[in-house]
Amino acid sequence: MASLDRPGELLIEAIRLTVNGDTHDLGVPSHYTLLEALRYVLGLTGPKQGCDKGDCGACTVLLDGVPTLSCILPVQEAIGKEVTTIEGLAAPDAPHALQDAFDLTGGAQCGFCTSGILMSAAALLAANRSPTRLEIREALAGNLCRCTGYTKIYEAIELAAAALREERMPAELKGS
Amino acid sequence: MKLEDFREKQIAGAASDEELHEALEREFQVIGRRLRRTDGLAKSSGRAIFTDDISLPGMLHAKILRSPHPHARILGIDVSKALELDGVHAIVTGSDVPETYGILPWARDEYALCIDKVRYVGDGVAAVAAVDEESANEALDLIEVEYEVLPYFLDAEEALAHPEMPIHEPKKPDANGNISKHVRLEFGEVDKLLEDSEVIAEAEYYFEGTTHTAIEPHCAIGWFDTSGKLTVWSTTQVPHYLHRELARVLDLDVAKVRVIQPPIGGAFGGKSEPFDLEFCVAKLAMITGRPVKILYTREEVFYAHRGRHPMLMRYRTGADKNGRIQAVDASTILDGGGYESFGLVTTYYSGQLITAPYTMESYRFDSTRVYTNKPCSGPKRGHGSVQPRFAIEVQLDRLAEALDIDPIELRRRNLLGSDTRTVNEFLVRSNGFLECLGAVEHASDWKDKYRQLPYGRGVGVAGSCYISGTNYPIYPNEMPQSAVQLQVDRSGRVAVFCGASEIGQGSDSMLAYIVSEELGVPLDYVRILAADTDFTPVDLGAYSSRITLMCGNACIDAAGKIKKLVKQAVADGWDCKPKQVALAGGWAFDVKDTGRKMPISEAFNLAEAKFGTLGATGSYNTPKDIHGDYRGGTIGSSPAYSFTAHVAEVEVDRDTGFVDVRKIWIGHDCGRALNPVLVEGQMEGSAYMGFAEAVMEQHIFKETGLHNAPSLLDYKIPTSLDTPELESLIVESVDPEGPYGAKEAGEGPLHPSIPAIANAIYDAVGVRIDRLPFTPPRVWMALQLRADREKAGALAPWKRESGRTPLPAAGD
Amino acid sequence: MLRLHPYVYHRPRRLDEALELLKEHSGDVLPIAGGTDLVPNMKHGLFAPGHLVALKGIDELHGIEERDGELAIGAAESLTAVASHPLVNDHFPALAHAASLVAHPMIRNQGTLGGNICLDTRCTYYNQTHFWRRALGYCLKKDGDVCHVVAGGTKCVAAHSADTPPILMALDAAVDIASADGERSIKLSDFFTADGMWNKRLERHELVTRVRIPLPSPKLHATYTKVRERKSVDFPLLSIALAVELDDSGVMDSISLIVAALGAKPRVIGGLDKIAVGKKPTDDIVEAVARQTYRQCNPLDNIIVEIEWRRAMVPVYVRRSFNAILAEPRATA
Ligand SMILES: Cc1cc2nc3c(=O)[nH]c(=O)nc-3n(C[C@H](O)[C@H](O)[C@H](O)COP(=O)(O)OP(=O)(O)OC[C@H]3O[C@@H](n4cnc5c(N)ncnc54)[C@H](O)[C@@H]3O)c2cc1C
Ligand code: SF4
Ligand code: FES
Ligand code: FES
Repeated sequence: MASLDRPGELLIEAIRLTVNGDTHDLGVPSHYTLLEALRYVLGLTGPKQGCDKGDCGACTVLLDGVPTLSCILPVQEAIGKEVTTIEGLAAPDAPHALQDAFDLTGGAQCGFCTSGILMSAAALLAANRSPTRLEIREALAGNLCRCTGYTKIYEAIELAAAALREERMPAELKGS
Repeated sequence: MKLEDFREKQIAGAASDEELHEALEREFQVIGRRLRRTDGLAKSSGRAIFTDDISLPGMLHAKILRSPHPHARILGIDVSKALELDGVHAIVTGSDVPETYGILPWARDEYALCIDKVRYVGDGVAAVAAVDEESANEALDLIEVEYEVLPYFLDAEEALAHPEMPIHEPKKPDANGNISKHVRLEFGEVDKLLEDSEVIAEAEYYFEGTTHTAIEPHCAIGWFDTSGKLTVWSTTQVPHYLHRELARVLDLDVAKVRVIQPPIGGAFGGKSEPFDLEFCVAKLAMITGRPVKILYTREEVFYAHRGRHPMLMRYRTGADKNGRIQAVDASTILDGGGYESFGLVTTYYSGQLITAPYTMESYRFDSTRVYTNKPCSGPKRGHGSVQPRFAIEVQLDRLAEALDIDPIELRRRNLLGSDTRTVNEFLVRSNGFLECLGAVEHASDWKDKYRQLPYGRGVGVAGSCYISGTNYPIYPNEMPQSAVQLQVDRSGRVAVFCGASEIGQGSDSMLAYIVSEELGVPLDYVRILAADTDFTPVDLGAYSSRITLMCGNACIDAAGKIKKLVKQAVADGWDCKPKQVALAGGWAFDVKDTGRKMPISEAFNLAEAKFGTLGATGSYNTPKDIHGDYRGGTIGSSPAYSFTAHVAEVEVDRDTGFVDVRKIWIGHDCGRALNPVLVEGQMEGSAYMGFAEAVMEQHIFKETGLHNAPSLLDYKIPTSLDTPELESLIVESVDPEGPYGAKEAGEGPLHPSIPAIANAIYDAVGVRIDRLPFTPPRVWMALQLRADREKAGALAPWKRESGRTPLPAAGD
Repeated sequence: MLRLHPYVYHRPRRLDEALELLKEHSGDVLPIAGGTDLVPNMKHGLFAPGHLVALKGIDELHGIEERDGELAIGAAESLTAVASHPLVNDHFPALAHAASLVAHPMIRNQGTLGGNICLDTRCTYYNQTHFWRRALGYCLKKDGDVCHVVAGGTKCVAAHSADTPPILMALDAAVDIASADGERSIKLSDFFTADGMWNKRLERHELVTRVRIPLPSPKLHATYTKVRERKSVDFPLLSIALAVELDDSGVMDSISLIVAALGAKPRVIGGLDKIAVGKKPTDDIVEAVARQTYRQCNPLDNIIVEIEWRRAMVPVYVRRSFNAILAEPRATA
């Protein structure tokens, strides 16, 4: 941080962030967004940057379970909340049903929108285990995907929902 | 794990006897099955490392200063103040990299940073490397550039008309410096056949430019190590060409330049040539001795562009009374923007690629690519041919109407067929277009819908054809277009080294499927190392839908060599003929007695003991000299052609002009679907992208030359709520040239979206919108005009009294 | 990436602290709620305050409750909360609907009702990067002295682009405003001005703390319609809020029609009482209302979609608004 020695301009704040269950005490430039803190300070590069101003959803993370655009969220707003990024979606021993389902249906092509989309989808499934196609489309209406035409993404979410309802991994539903 | 335990485990995971029996019945073990991708889980768990995710120790961040003028001469650049700023390590300007670059070797006209002139708002003039982005940004503000502002053109026809104000120096004295390329080709007697035609459709079409809008912005990192080796990580879909250009432009030994392409967040043609950032990070890294990264802002991505050319297309198409196409006469102006890019190829493609899937007695095109003071146009998914496809397919719809022939039937009557040549002499082998048409006709209930749906709702059909790679590489050479190297480990693991670019289309997975098919190893025993020029044999890159066909063939070639050795070694052990040995499901087994088998790793070990370390290379080169013998006949000549048909169903809001595309049925002949999941993904993604261009996307500029809306908020790409239902109908024609018969699926399926929607709008409300995109204001205006004519009695109300409407004359 | 300028981020717990901070740093401070408007604008260099005062952590700015014949909504309540809260849905489904039409799901999770009401006006020449605006030449609203929309114009006409204010106006809502110097409240219909630079009657050190809407009589029917290019994400190209009171015989006792996304101030269509009150919303009457509305609406080139079409859409959507109201089960009962 070259700007550090420009007195009066830059402020480094001591911030405690809880990300994917880990609590970090960090020194963060006060003007950082949560996305900058995640990617640059914590090295969590799962959340992506596609527009950096709220238009694309690639940077979506969960803030206390709520899908949130980290690129326009001042980092301080995450203090005292649970941040979940794509890296924290799965349990350590197996992929999350959504991840597995995306893999099965080809829901990720280039994969750049995927981490954001999975966060929106995870929040949807947490609240609704049997979403309709329309509910899925509405939940994803802020996450732009340029590769898939969305169809395989819907299929993946439906597959994951079925797996979660039946407490099975999608692989068991549909051979791999 | 001890080797024995590992063997046990491997055996437990391998195919059962029953499965092996079954395997013997099937043509393929892996090919054609709905499998996972090799990179799927890495991507869905956020672990795939994209270019901007890479951070190197001591890395500097750079920013490029861009021109605020659409056209200006650079009189001077003063970087002294910027250099003094804390944290700034180096600044480069055009004169630091004085060599031109460009994707086509005979048309290099760009500099890493402009030297004497800027040609669009956003053209780069200087680059700053600093300790962080903030400092680099601050430094940009301190660079002083003196410009002499020049007159500028935003409209191609206008630029064409003003050779006295050239955007580029004319290539020859007396030439128009605003013309980048002119092509005129004629096949057969167009004028005579037009005259003899029963009906002629004549209209002018305008395709507004669109851009790729991959969600990942371009990013590159350069690192020049103390041994004098340059490494560049880049979001490129053509690492090989970038490799060559970097060495040439920076005057480095090609062997000392390494290009690595990490996973890419979408490309669609927007990353298929070198860009300023790659040269800038390299040069700045060479100067500073530090790794340097540039990440474009979303705004800069719009300036880098290379998206679809705006095209003004004047078309006349004549047919006889049976609806057989007699003549097509096309005249096209392409708006190339500030530079050449792939311009020469685009200009040819704008004419060359519409001669299938229909027979035509005669064909002429006259295409002129013009420079304007806008970001450079280039190749976008369906390079050069999506625009004319819109024109020709709408023309066919008009002819069908004029002759009172169902438009699907009209297309059937003009079927090109297989093992034949197009009017411009391309050799077409497999052709599944008829099946594509049938599939969409059936699935969409076409017969019950066409002209039968109530006013406001309609269906439209369109067909298309696309290349599976080009027979000639971008720089002339005799070497293979694609190559694969395999390395086999004693554990049964096979590593694939290949220069091909995985850009989301699934090329890594395709290689793994082939290796798994050929060598019988489970998919998760295949590792892919792709697109790293230090380690992977050359593949020319992800463009023109070439990878499956070319790289796939190269991979089969390589795997075949290993397979032969393994079978031989096993056969020797079993004392049988090699052809009695099969490799599948993790085993080498006896086809006559599937009980006799050994784990594939054991088979590999036998082969290694017998023949030495197992490895092989394979390559593919395209058939040459199968194209027409005329200048330009090589361009568009492909080893195989894919075919597509769409039916689109729309609902048009009569009062507002909103077009709601309800559903698109996509019938696509991909040759063979190596993995149907991936093929469907390409078909859906393509149809989606075409739909988007049809109804909302427009890459347009304000009068001042500024981009209208360089953001993902204002440049509209569809959300999940906008995108229609998409139904993929795969057709497999099994091409003799393709790997297992495969052709392509990445670009072809985009082409019919736009004309199918245009034709559906006509079916719905009786207006032809010949200018893209079909935005509500445009559709609404057309509806107003039609209503006026209806009121004046010049037209009968559309579909309102009866199921059918009286037919207006052709060309109406 | 688009980097923000350095600032001090204050996170007061109490309203009075926030108000004190606003006063103390007057001229170099802005309140930030969800930040979904302010942060992109700061990334474009449109604002660069040295201090930001965060509102979301202030309890007094939260809560959705019924009291004294009104529904009160804290300014820092998220749009998702407004769209989904049972009290809002029971009393003012049209408001819930308007909130659900803002931007996209994440922005509704982050963005607040207060921020929506105080949303900066928008213009195609203004909501652009610093590079872009400098290349074009700055405009009146930021750093310049010309308007690119109205040649020779001396007044900024950037568009009011927020989705909830029009329907709140039609529902006769008021906002409570607080500053270190005291409190006041103002009807939302008096809140906005036609000045695109700063289109609200709100001092820079004041905060909107609460929105209050009188509980509706059973006669009230309201609807909000938004025209936009995409079905999600986009700001309105045109929006119409309509509220009518229908008596038992279906006669209109009152009418309020607001058209927004034209200029800096949502336009309250005048002269409708004479046309509509005391009458049933028959086709003829609706047509007369539509015509009257059309006459009073003149879109500008502050939004990039064709003016002529946007104007032509005014009567279309007036008719559709009436249709929506008349299609409600309660309206025909
Ligand atoms: C991609 C995108 C699409 C969008 N689409 C829409 C849309 O369709 N419709 C729409 O209406 N909006 C839209 N918005 C704008 C914005 O997200 C919403 O208007 C949102 O409600 C703003 O609320 P906020 O809390 O985030 O405001 P902030 O950004 O926090 O604040 C906005 C402004 O109001 C001031 N402010 C905030 N709260 C108060 C208060 N209590 N008292 C006084 N001043 C205050 C701030 O200082 C700032 O100037 C969109 C934004 C984006 C990025
Ligand atoms: S209306 Fe005029 S002054 Fe206001 S933001 Fe737009 S261009 Fe600037
Ligand atoms: S990067 Fe955050 S919304 Fe695009
Ligand atoms: S998979 Fe590439 S953007 Fe969605």
